[in-house]
Amino acid sequence: MLKCREVVHQADALLAGELSGRERFALRMHIIICRHCRRYVKQFRHLLRAIPRMHGQASESEVSRVMTAVKNADKSMGGQSNPSG
Amino acid sequence: MRAEVVPDDIQALRRGDDSAFSALVRAHHRALLATATAIVGIDDAEEVVQNAWIKAHKALPGFEGRSALRTWLTRIVINEARMLLRKSRREVSLQLDEDQHPLADRFREGGHWSKPPVTWHDESPDGLLMQRELADCLSRLLLAMPAPQRAMLELRDAGGLEFDEICNELTITASNARVLLHRARTQLFKLVDHYQETGEC
Ligand SMILES: [Zn+2]
Repeated sequence: MLKCREVVHQADALLAGELSGRERFALRMHIIICRHCRRYVKQFRHLLRAIPRMHGQASESEVSRVMTAVKNADKSMGGQSNPSG
Repeated sequence: MRAEVVPDDIQALRRGDDSAFSALVRAHHRALLATATAIVGIDDAEEVVQNAWIKAHKALPGFEGRSALRTWLTRIVINEARMLLRKSRREVSLQLDEDQHPLADRFREGGHWSKPPVTWHDESPDGLLMQRELADCLSRLLLAMPAPQRAMLELRDAGGLEFDEICNELTITASNARVLLHRARTQLFKLVDHYQETGEC
């Protein structure tokens, strides 16, 4: 029987689709009978979805600083384009 | 009602539309700063991201949309970060730290929960992000997190890069990359769980 601690360790791989069929099955079985781990996996999944957006928006002064730098670089480069990368 | 997230207008960005570009900066600048900070440190992060925006602005007309814009921008930031490190003869070192697992104290010896997670009131991503105080707690935790863990979180989870690419760009093995990411994520989990239980960081 899988232990709760192992469920926590494998949750990342489960959600990334990286577990083998056998591992996934063992984990699913555990989650059916263990409500704590069921809750862990469910809330962990929501948390991962929130991470890309956790930084919030830049302030207007940050935006205008970037815009100024971009404009200045445009001017000094003339019409050149296409950096490598 | 105003939408919280404005989708990037790729057509307008390719045309070089100024307001589309400032919307792009507004949406991604903070995340890119966090990525750069995790790689080069806070003192050089601003310069790295500034240069990345200049490169991105020039390269946008050729953006093909094969990856998400955030991922594309993150790659440019990594390039700039590596250039700066090379110039200053520094190296990125993403070593494993000796910290114990963030949730280690939540299990009994036999491996079962001693203190299971609480039920989160509003567990949806929107629900989590709307709570101002929780957002502040999260940013404080990110600042305090060891740089290697934070780098993995920013590159993989916030930036959307694949493990392969991260391991190629920065010197780190795939298994260490996974351990670092797991620790970073479970630290966040622990914080949110604690906040949901107590209303405090
Ligand atoms: Zn369990």
